[in-house]
Amino acid sequence: MFALSELENDALIEIFNIGVGQAASSMSAIVNEAVHMSVPSVSFINRAEAARLLDGKSAEPAGAICGVSQHYEGAFSTEAILMFPEDKSLEIVRLMVGEAVSQKELTEMEQEAMCEIGNIILNSCVGTLANIFQRELQGSLPQYHVGTSDEILIASGSLADTVVLMLHIDFLLEKHQIHGYVAFVLDISALHDLKEQINLYIARAMGQA
Amino acid sequence: MTPTKTVLIVDDSRVSRLMARQYIGALHADWIVEEAATGEEALVKARAVGPDLVLMDVNMPGMGGIAAAEQLRQELPAIPISLLTANVQAATRERATLLGIGFMEKPITEARIAQLLSTLEAA
Amino acid sequence: MMSRLPDAHRLHLLHSVLCAVNLGAIVLDGDRRVVLWNAWMIKHSGLGHDKVIGADFFSVCPGLRGGRVESAIQQALYNNFPSLLSQTLNKAPFALYASPVAAARNERIQQAVEVTPIAVEGAARHCLIQINDVSIAVGREKLLREQAMVLRTQTFADGLTGIANRRHFDVAIEKEHRRAKRGGTPLSLLMIDIDHFKAYNDHYGHQKGDQCLIQVAAALAAMLKRPCDLMARYGGEEFAMILPETDVEQATLMAEAIRARTQELAIPHERNHDAAQQVTVSIGIATQKVDAPADIEALIGAADRALYLAKRNGRNRTEALLPC
Repeated sequence: MFALSELENDALIEIFNIGVGQAASSMSAIVNEAVHMSVPSVSFINRAEAARLLDGKSAEPAGAICGVSQHYEGAFSTEAILMFPEDKSLEIVRLMVGEAVSQKELTEMEQEAMCEIGNIILNSCVGTLANIFQRELQGSLPQYHVGTSDEILIASGSLADTVVLMLHIDFLLEKHQIHGYVAFVLDISALHDLKEQINLYIARAMGQA
Repeated sequence: MTPTKTVLIVDDSRVSRLMARQYIGALHADWIVEEAATGEEALVKARAVGPDLVLMDVNMPGMGGIAAAEQLRQELPAIPISLLTANVQAATRERATLLGIGFMEKPITEARIAQLLSTLEAA
Repeated sequence: MMSRLPDAHRLHLLHSVLCAVNLGAIVLDGDRRVVLWNAWMIKHSGLGHDKVIGADFFSVCPGLRGGRVESAIQQALYNNFPSLLSQTLNKAPFALYASPVAAARNERIQQAVEVTPIAVEGAARHCLIQINDVSIAVGREKLLREQAMVLRTQTFADGLTGIANRRHFDVAIEKEHRRAKRGGTPLSLLMIDIDHFKAYNDHYGHQKGDQCLIQVAAALAAMLKRPCDLMARYGGEEFAMILPETDVEQATLMAEAIRARTQELAIPHERNHDAAQQVTVSIGIATQKVDAPADIEALIGAADRALYLAKRNGRNRTEALLPC
């Protein structure tokens, strides 16, 4: 299984914290409230493990995950997916929109709000990564999915043993603490590229590059 | 030639601390850079060392940067503090202003460090 | 993708298409100056080409500075990423109106916006801003939401305790009364009232009062044995229990069981007058016998009078009366 050294892990977490920090700043401008987001940890696991991780967090059995995915290409290729348990997605949209979300599901307009939230967070994470690695990428517009974690991850076109870079996300708004994930589906060459870029970044940090 | 100063960098990310150390060193090779990984450690170090400037990351486990900055303000009000954050929003700005401290946007770059240090020298 | 037309014709075709599409299209160059502003934009903003082409976008739309639209433009121009601005989170960022009348009333079009990077040969990246009019979809969803709200207030559950509400009781008693008459079966009604509830509220506060109601309601509702039995919140601290096919003896047994169960809950009530200083209930029982049918008002009236009798006789007891 792909793994990073402690320093490489530290660097990656710091980069993503900067990314979600900027996303939180954008979101707080939308709601006019303090919004905080952080990435306490990252892990590299295969798709089957990723699905199990998400199912453990869902309030309802086997199902009900909301996902927003975007595809990125260029210097490397990845499918990035923001995921929350469905009931938490309702909570986030309700908090961001400031009105009661009446049904148990998101209406079409509310799904669009969820898409925008995904768009902000994913662009921020990948953008920070691309900037720090000084690479050029292009991205797609967000797509909304709802289903089991397995269905959402399969929709990204990956195989069961594809490596997924999982970010744990802590989202805090108006004293509501919500935990979610961002999954990056990466192929082997992208993973090695990532490791190489992180090391270049660390070398620059230590004045060696 | 400015006399040697001591800067305390507080961040739970080791790479962040290395970066800050690197950029400060590039501008002032003779300055001393102390490190702390948590808010609690920062207070211990600050009391012991009496730095000329504290760079405090906001997003840390445990005490957190803002609480540590507030405590430090009370105990050692003469030390200038700069909060480090990627999440610059109205609430953060207000809090910083109330405490009488500045903040620096992340990611840490040589340019941002240079700007901060020059405002420090001007004061 | 396009047929083999000479360049000039192709350009003219594209230009015509852009003017004909039913959405707003704005293109900004790398310095955020407006290089394209289609006919839809002219029509709905009231700003012609002379006012916008070549101008800095944020001098044309100063209200958008520092907001979501600006950060989306930055994402497109510098990071090469597209952005989505949903109507739900960004109500109507652009000053666009369906008609001069709407403009006079300051009623903006509801907008869904997309900002996309556009690569241009020999120049810095440009970005395309697309604006869709989603006013109809918004109106439709608003209507659905309102209808859902109305339906919810018409439901039969009591907001606080979750058991049946008064409206449900009214519907149920009618139904059971009719059924008892047609089927020739007895129908019993219990009126249950918490003793000295006002004093409880005054002493322990309204939040504890609410909790007491919730607890008692839950305990009593759990005692129902058949699907046709119903326990409802009749008033503030008053509950009503409909017991179809139940005669006086059975109703009295049930009432006594309820009285005892309430005592079992052992909810402290320092202002209650009984020795144990715990929450108690008084219960009035009325039964419509098979051979003596009465109307609903008479049945309820009898239960009420029986309840009053129970209170008068010292509370924490049951009393039964026949409707006359």
